[in-house]
Amino acid sequence: MGKYFLIAHSNIRKAKWQTIATVVLVFFAALMLDLWLMLSMDYKRNFDRYHDKLNSGHVTLSVKNGSPEVKQFISETLEKDSRTTQFGVNEAVDATGSFNYNGGNISTEFIFLNKEEAIKNKVERIEIVEEGNQKSGVYLPVIYSTDKDIKAGETISFEIGNRTIDYTICGFTNSVMAGSHNCAFCAMLLTEDKYKELEESGYAEKSYFVPIRIKDKLGSEAFEADIKDKLSKTYPQIYVASNSYALISSSRYISQMICSEVISAMAFFITLIVLVVISSNVTNYIQENMKNIGVLKAEGYVSRQIVSSLMVQFFGIAFITAVSGAGFSYILFPAINTMMVSQTGIPYKTRFLPLPFILAVAIISGTILFVVWFSSRRIKKIEPVVAIRQGIQTHNFKRNPVPLETTKAPLHLALALKTTFSGVKQNIIICITMLVLSLIIVFSGLMVTNMITDMEPFINMVVGETADSSINIKTGSREKFMQIMEDDSNVQKAYLYNSVNVQHKKGSVLAATISDDFSKVNNQDVCIEGRFPKYDNEIALGIKYARQKGLKTGDEIILTADGKEAVYIISGFTQISNNLGKDCLLSSDGYKRMGVLQEENYYINLEDGTDIDKFNKDISRELGDDVINSVNIFAVVQGTGTVYVTLMKIIIAGILVLSLIVIIFVMYLLVRTMLNSKQKDYGIMKAIGYTTRQLMLQTAASFMPAVIISTAAGIAVSSIFINPVVALFLNGIGIVKCTFKISLVFNITAGAGLVLFTFLAACLLSFKIRKNTPRALMAGE
Amino acid sequence: MEKILLKTDKLSKSFSSGGTLQHVLRNIDLELYKGSFTVIMGASGAGKSTLMYALSGMDKPSLGTITFGDKVISGLAPDQLAIFRRKHCGFVFQQIYLLESMSIMDNVLSAGFLVNKNKKTVIKRAKELFQSVGITEETQKKFPAQISGGEAQRAGIVRALINSPEILFADEPTGALNSKTGLDVLDTLTKFNGHGQSVVMVTHDIRSARRGDRILYLKDGIILGECLLGKYKHGDEERHRKLSVFLKEMGW
Repeated sequence: MGKYFLIAHSNIRKAKWQTIATVVLVFFAALMLDLWLMLSMDYKRNFDRYHDKLNSGHVTLSVKNGSPEVKQFISETLEKDSRTTQFGVNEAVDATGSFNYNGGNISTEFIFLNKEEAIKNKVERIEIVEEGNQKSGVYLPVIYSTDKDIKAGETISFEIGNRTIDYTICGFTNSVMAGSHNCAFCAMLLTEDKYKELEESGYAEKSYFVPIRIKDKLGSEAFEADIKDKLSKTYPQIYVASNSYALISSSRYISQMICSEVISAMAFFITLIVLVVISSNVTNYIQENMKNIGVLKAEGYVSRQIVSSLMVQFFGIAFITAVSGAGFSYILFPAINTMMVSQTGIPYKTRFLPLPFILAVAIISGTILFVVWFSSRRIKKIEPVVAIRQGIQTHNFKRNPVPLETTKAPLHLALALKTTFSGVKQNIIICITMLVLSLIIVFSGLMVTNMITDMEPFINMVVGETADSSINIKTGSREKFMQIMEDDSNVQKAYLYNSVNVQHKKGSVLAATISDDFSKVNNQDVCIEGRFPKYDNEIALGIKYARQKGLKTGDEIILTADGKEAVYIISGFTQISNNLGKDCLLSSDGYKRMGVLQEENYYINLEDGTDIDKFNKDISRELGDDVINSVNIFAVVQGTGTVYVTLMKIIIAGILVLSLIVIIFVMYLLVRTMLNSKQKDYGIMKAIGYTTRQLMLQTAASFMPAVIISTAAGIAVSSIFINPVVALFLNGIGIVKCTFKISLVFNITAGAGLVLFTFLAACLLSFKIRKNTPRALMAGE
Repeated sequence: MEKILLKTDKLSKSFSSGGTLQHVLRNIDLELYKGSFTVIMGASGAGKSTLMYALSGMDKPSLGTITFGDKVISGLAPDQLAIFRRKHCGFVFQQIYLLESMSIMDNVLSAGFLVNKNKKTVIKRAKELFQSVGITEETQKKFPAQISGGEAQRAGIVRALINSPEILFADEPTGALNSKTGLDVLDTLTKFNGHGQSVVMVTHDIRSARRGDRILYLKDGIILGECLLGKYKHGDEERHRKLSVFLKEMGW
């Protein structure tokens, strides 16, 4: 074993900078791999840990307009159901409203609970994670503490209907099933005095908050559908909002899913680059040390020992570096966690995770060990005498690429091309690296164009429909409301855009969007196949759900709502991620076949420059209590979208910086290998009159054909396939077809920038040529 | 009067080795003349190769000046020296130093195109030179590893002469060759010198040195003596005797 270490130590000492560059790449590969494994193997499990800790429901209902009779019915029904293990029927106050968040608004259904009761609930306990000294006020879900203006002791204003209610923030809570605007409803804890005040004010409706634990959490959606069906059949007049374990465990982890997928892709690509680079290093090592290998063999070392020494050398480096890289991920993880919590809203304590750590180190070390063994097998075929005489030729005498006598290319370009054509491995490494980096550029361009500089395409694809204002009114005031809209010169158009839940028979609860006329909606791209529903027997179904169920256009499906059943023909497929793809569109006549809307929600487009908040207040003042809620959609999009935009900005910045580091180290390894193998040539060329600058340019230029071709091909191919790839990434939230705009100008400019950066990096890294003096050549240095 | 091509003034070169300064060349004053065949002789370690590197601009002197024509080259930056070498000097090396990855023709053209942008003119001159040293068109397409040492060295001479340099520097040009191919190379150098090409050759081989018209003997970093032989003529026994006497006097 000592002999292996001796050879390995000597090899490392001779190529210390090459070793350092390899170490950096392996470090990043292990870092990314461990981050990915932590995110994918443990992060989402945090949801289950808190779900168990707080004994949260697998299905949670918020029942408005409920009477004691309804409460009794719910209790009896749940007790009779063999699937139920535990449930609670808690009194609450329910209101749809909004408050300022992240420079915009949060608009959702709020469940106001009595703090003293909520923290002691047997089912769906809500825990306080941060508390100030305030004795009277509200406790908000911890997700909102990421806004710098929302702190304990500050005042928060809730807009409910046409009223504003101010509360002092007492602290922050963690609720698994109702702890964010991504949960269908959001639980707010009020101190006893404030709860009573709200309960008695009449601003909001008394309701029942019903968390239910079931035996098989995988059946949460079916259970949710069943219980809602039973409730609506018996009490058609009540309004039930609900969520399920299946929905919430996904919707609260969208950022984790995106981040994990991006990091996994990066980890895969960097590992691939590391393996190709190490394979090339081993091959070059054999070539450069042919004489030494011959001497070692002549001295009596067997091939196995020489191969083993290489394996010891690379495994040693890979193992120690992978351990360091995976270890460093624990320094980086809290920052990623903070970023994640701004979307998940569930606290996560970073701790050592042995399995991801061991897996990351094992994958990196194992694959490197295999590649070294595979690449060094040719050592067995080397005869000592031939090796000592440098008998293995690398040059192919059958062809002379770019003969100077006939080529039209300028001298330096021709010489660079000669080098290019003689370095197959170098070209392969460049191609893989540049293809990966091109994909990253196109992805970054896509996110910059469709999310960071202009959020609209992202919002349109994910949310489906946006307008300027959304006003929720009581059904009876429809005519008056529409008259006001018609008379108001600021209104461009107002159309019914109402969301209710319907049950697909033998399927899931679907979020149904109902409109009088879908030709009026702003985002006509929501329907990605077929057409919007036109007649009362038509439905446009979420494409992800339809594919899961094997449904096609023209197929019939049965829906139930308010205890009635109706058959619909599928006219088209939609893509909305509000309910993670379990959505559908129905005409208002179509919905009337099952039930009656108790409230009507209208989307309104306003003339440019109209003050949306003022408009909403004016309407609320005019209609009084007929307005249940009004929302500045622009501000809501701003408030909720900012989290995703910030997340994406950080991801883009991270992967771009990492890409630049990767390209610098890959180029360093390639240039260094070339400088070593051409050391003598550079000396000769300097002796006959080539300057350092000319040789640097030639060296850098020799990489460029592969760089330019692979970047151009990478940009072109990535531009074609990036939307399907992103759709794959976002499939978890119901996106099947991604229709983001591809900015060719950005892609081409960034591609050119990447080529230029690579060229400059290669030039700078070639600066070492200045040390290849003709004097050193003559002296045999 | 002979025209001075290159002149040195108190040329010195020192190397630091293990903290000790070694003076390899000491205050050398030397003039090289146009059309001459100057041979630098001396024992191993006398400083003859170091003198040639300094004269040719491959290395910078530690002290003193080197003037080429009316231009002082000893103070030039490395890249300026490279430009000087490509325009004014040709080199023939003991180890030949052809670029292994290029054909023989490309080796020559890579030097020629560096100076002369007229490709046709360079290719024409290369072919003429190849013909004059007896390298066939077929050999021109081969790679250095595919030809004999003699052919390779003659190709090296063609590369050195492609830009019609004012001085051809040859460092032990026959050192790596057998006697027959070595003679061919010496004949080639003599032939070009006969056509007016100035040559500076470093050698410790008396048979090679006989081709020179001026022999400088270097010892311990100084020029110990000089012997003028006149132009080389085949079978000139007097020349051989004169050189032998000179070298004996120098302690050879």
